[in-house]
Amino acid sequence: MKINSAVKLGTVATFAAVLLAACGSSSNSSSQASKQTLNWMESSALPSMDLSTATDVVSGETMNNTGEGLLRFGKKSTTHPGVAKSYKVSKDGKTYTFNLRKSNWSNGDKVTAKDFVYAWQRTVNPKTASQYAYMYAPVKNANEIMKSQKPVSSLGIKAEGDYKVVVTLTQATDYFPALVASPMFFPQNQSVVDKYGKKYAANAKSNVYNGPFKLTYWTGTSDNWTLSKNTKYWNAKNVKLKKINFKAVKDPQTSLSQFQSGKLDATYLSGQQPKNYKNDKQYVERKGASTFYIEMNQRKDSMMKNKKARQALSLAINRKQFVNKVLADGSSEAKGLVSTGLMSYKGKDFNTASAVPEATDHDLAKAQKLWKEALKETGRSNYNLTLMADDTPAGKNTLEFVQSQWSKLDNIKVTTQSLPFKTRLSRSENGQFQAVVSGWGADYPDAISFLEMFTKTNSYNRGKWLNTEYDNDIKAADGKDANNEAARWTDLVDAQKTLMKDQGIIPLYQQGKSQLVKSNVKGVIYFPTGANWDFSHAYISK
Amino acid sequence: MADTVKLPEDSFKPITANDRAALDSEKIAAPSLTFTQDAWRRLKKNRGAWVSLIILGIIFIMAFGSMFFSPHNPNAVNPSYANLPSKIPGVNINGFNGTLVQAGQRIDAYQQAGASGVHYIMGTDYLGRDLFSRVLYGTRISLIIALVATFFDLTIGVTYGLVSGWKGGRVDTFMQRVIEIILSIPNLVIIVLFILILKPGMLSIILAIALTSWVNMARLVRAQTLEIKEQEYVLAAKTLGESSLKIAFKHLLPNLSSVIIINTMFTIPSAIFFEATLSYIGIGISSPQASLGTLLNDGQKNFQFLPYQMWWPALVLCIIMLAFNLLGDGLRDAFDPRTKE
Amino acid sequence: MAKYLAKRIFYLILTLFIVITVTFFLMKLLPGTPLTNQAKLSKSQIALIYQQYGLDKPVWQQYLLYLAGAVKGNFGTSFQFSDQPVSYLLSSRIGPSLQIGLQAMILGVILGIIVGAIGAMKQNTWADTTTTVVSILGISIPSFVLAVLLQYYLGLKAGWFPIAEWGGFIYTVLPTLALGATPLAESARFVRTEMVDVLSSDYIELAKAKGLSRMGIIYHHALRNSLIPLITIVGPLAVNIMTGSMVVENIFSIPGIGEQFVKSVLTNDYPTIMGLTIIYSFMLCVVLLITDILYGIVDPRIRITGKAN
Repeated sequence: MKINSAVKLGTVATFAAVLLAACGSSSNSSSQASKQTLNWMESSALPSMDLSTATDVVSGETMNNTGEGLLRFGKKSTTHPGVAKSYKVSKDGKTYTFNLRKSNWSNGDKVTAKDFVYAWQRTVNPKTASQYAYMYAPVKNANEIMKSQKPVSSLGIKAEGDYKVVVTLTQATDYFPALVASPMFFPQNQSVVDKYGKKYAANAKSNVYNGPFKLTYWTGTSDNWTLSKNTKYWNAKNVKLKKINFKAVKDPQTSLSQFQSGKLDATYLSGQQPKNYKNDKQYVERKGASTFYIEMNQRKDSMMKNKKARQALSLAINRKQFVNKVLADGSSEAKGLVSTGLMSYKGKDFNTASAVPEATDHDLAKAQKLWKEALKETGRSNYNLTLMADDTPAGKNTLEFVQSQWSKLDNIKVTTQSLPFKTRLSRSENGQFQAVVSGWGADYPDAISFLEMFTKTNSYNRGKWLNTEYDNDIKAADGKDANNEAARWTDLVDAQKTLMKDQGIIPLYQQGKSQLVKSNVKGVIYFPTGANWDFSHAYISK
Repeated sequence: MADTVKLPEDSFKPITANDRAALDSEKIAAPSLTFTQDAWRRLKKNRGAWVSLIILGIIFIMAFGSMFFSPHNPNAVNPSYANLPSKIPGVNINGFNGTLVQAGQRIDAYQQAGASGVHYIMGTDYLGRDLFSRVLYGTRISLIIALVATFFDLTIGVTYGLVSGWKGGRVDTFMQRVIEIILSIPNLVIIVLFILILKPGMLSIILAIALTSWVNMARLVRAQTLEIKEQEYVLAAKTLGESSLKIAFKHLLPNLSSVIIINTMFTIPSAIFFEATLSYIGIGISSPQASLGTLLNDGQKNFQFLPYQMWWPALVLCIIMLAFNLLGDGLRDAFDPRTKE
Repeated sequence: MAKYLAKRIFYLILTLFIVITVTFFLMKLLPGTPLTNQAKLSKSQIALIYQQYGLDKPVWQQYLLYLAGAVKGNFGTSFQFSDQPVSYLLSSRIGPSLQIGLQAMILGVILGIIVGAIGAMKQNTWADTTTTVVSILGISIPSFVLAVLLQYYLGLKAGWFPIAEWGGFIYTVLPTLALGATPLAESARFVRTEMVDVLSSDYIELAKAKGLSRMGIIYHHALRNSLIPLITIVGPLAVNIMTGSMVVENIFSIPGIGEQFVKSVLTNDYPTIMGLTIIYSFMLCVVLLITDILYGIVDPRIRITGKAN
């Protein structure tokens, strides 16, 4: 695959294409355009490249393409061999042994087991102040280290020689391979971290990469950044793109125009744009792994504590109309807290297994009846409700729509409040709300990533919905049934059913991303959790 | 020396009404008018200003009248009628006949939505709300914001500038430092603070405007006062012992009027745009309330496919601005004693 | 004059100090932390992160530390870009904002003066009406609408200019036009109004009587004396425009400071807000000082250095 931008070589390649196409090879270099550059849009700038401390999606996406963990994410969140050629799990599910391949960093250093041990310890070390270190919770002693109760060296990861990593977990964890494939668990080169000190990963130069690409342009605060093919990558011969130009375009109108004029190969759509491109052949919908739902403050308010009132509010909302007519961006109705497509067992999706139609199906008459009863039970003649949400476009759409739906109930007055994200968050955390629209995206492809939020002590349970049955199910799934797939599945399904039957939250929609992607961009891999994109197999076709 | 002047008898008779009329007929002078009478007369002669005044009157009546009577409820959501373009019955011009270019083809959006029987003069927005009613509603909110800003400009701004410029010296220095500080603290910080303490919406915006909007007026008035107070007629008034207050009202204000009026004409759009920019950021008037700013902002996002959603509020805004400015020009010409006939 | 200048510079420092103080404590009222997912962190972790940002100390200590740092040009670390000092963030992003702002100001003010002067000289003719309507439209259309229109018609449809991004001069044309509308309109309006007044004053009549040429009168007498209101508004307007407009920067994808500022206000990234406020305030105070000096130069009748008589 030595195609340069030279025109002559291009014609040779075309010729070869004809020959090879006859042989039935499709993903071969012959079908590729001579210029392998991808122009990709992001909606915000790249704020960080430090694997231990980055917190946002854009960083995650970029790091997933410049680095590689023991395993690699593939289509539908399946894991594939990465730096580890293979791995073994002990019978009790607590010990993982990874066999590493021989591979190099972009500066020529060898990627060894020590790099993993160093990276993991660095992230968990409280001095690093990593805000996502909690993802390490299943690893032995991680929680104690984070609380400074145990030394960093006691973390359950050991290097046996240069090419074997042994990981010990506190208890069997189903989704551990998925964790290992996320950027937070990628290796880091200690000599480079030490060399740059505070400047480590502050710009494109003061960093080192072991993934399919390396970052070649980024000032640390710039709105665009460039990835170039990493020739030192072990699988470099299968990486087809020479260059990826990332551009942060904050105005959706602008990015659409840039796409139309050919400056971008892909653009996210927002607002009313998806509606107008539904039938375009370049239109792609991507299902996300995040759900938006309404939490009701059940600390004091007798109305919000009333199950019938909560049910009435849920049934009054016509979710189908909302996702199809108002959002219309590839989002889908949420039937529960867990996002659809995240987890399945024996071919059955989690939400199909845990469906509680009477909690989410639109039924205004029933809602009306329940609302009346709730008013009576709490001894009120009417109720004033303020719904709070983020000041994002989607947040505003949600507010306006839900307000109009709730206002159809009798004796209710609904007001809305849209606030900047951080303000909204701090009010949610302090319980200064009646009802609030919240969203959550899964950190890893397992229902527990959602469900653990509504246990009694979890700080994400901002409405303080309490249910012992639910808590017990979650505890069992995390504890005694952790290594028993069937029992764990039942626990989790029951938990969501309980949450829905008691209407602990009002699920609204599962976020979708809609995109326009040029039809000659092929092989881009998307996965709904974590880092979203893998460009290592992407190429530009003719 | 017994020179005596012989005066005729009738010199000692009071003059009659007839005599007086005869005398007056020889006098060459315009009827004596007070300052406001004169201004009113000049304003009436300016046709542009009159038309503007009438247009503004109509807009005010429609915007505030829509509180009681509105073609549709501006907040009534009807998603199945979303994004319908303008349709004015009887008019068959593209842009006003309910058709829309979608994916390169002109289609009848009303038919597609199964809404053949209804028509919306300005179309509907993404939730199927009547844009005309929303524009009326938005005009009302924007006008209120503009008037509040003008009020603070004319009261705090003018007084502050006058005092600072007239007193001069230490008072001026101190007052100018206060202005520097107010100008230096970003408006956005102030508004976010209000949002935090109160809640997002009109009150926060109005308070932020009250705190910051008058500063420019104060600076302009001060600068002009510095210039005017050195002029001869002010000196003369001072020498004659007129009180400062009287000088301010009789001499300074009329001569400042052109700057005051022109700046007011800038205060109105900048207050409306301040709110519009806040909506662009996401902290303006909270939904489902609307202002011209939020409508423009929503329309701007869909300009490529649904241009009418931006054109309508933009058109209304432009008309309001033109009318205010032409009226302002008329007022300026009328009030400024320096204007030539 | 030297004494006056020294006094003003002293005031400038005093003003800056007050602005820093006021903004600092206002920001402390906002619920801003560098934490992005507080709920998942243990108490000790939060304490450690606070310590890293110096947020563990009492507010007055933080304030003194901030002042001490600010004097040395150290504005702390941004919450948005991890481990990037605010001074670096600002210096790496302020260039494009300054450039576009300056271009827009120059274009707007020069065109505005010309348009305004034409309007005044040809008072109550079609030329006057046209220039008035143009300048009114300039202030009637919000910059985001103008930016969208320019981008759509001149960028996408006509293809004359790049739609967005930051490259050579050609990339600055559309944003400059979008931002230049306000200064153009404002200066045109003020110049016209003032000049109409000035043209009818006695000394212009005298100049005419002396037989000075028309252009000579306009240039030497009329224009000069019409600039007082313009000078007053241009200063703060220039500082405003040059410190970045979030709207225009967003629409044209300019890597400037405007969007960063709005984002930092909304996310309560107070080190960045403080840094920008200080720069803004400094520029503003300098501009106001220059304005006051210019008053005297442009119109010798104005005395600001001492008490009036």
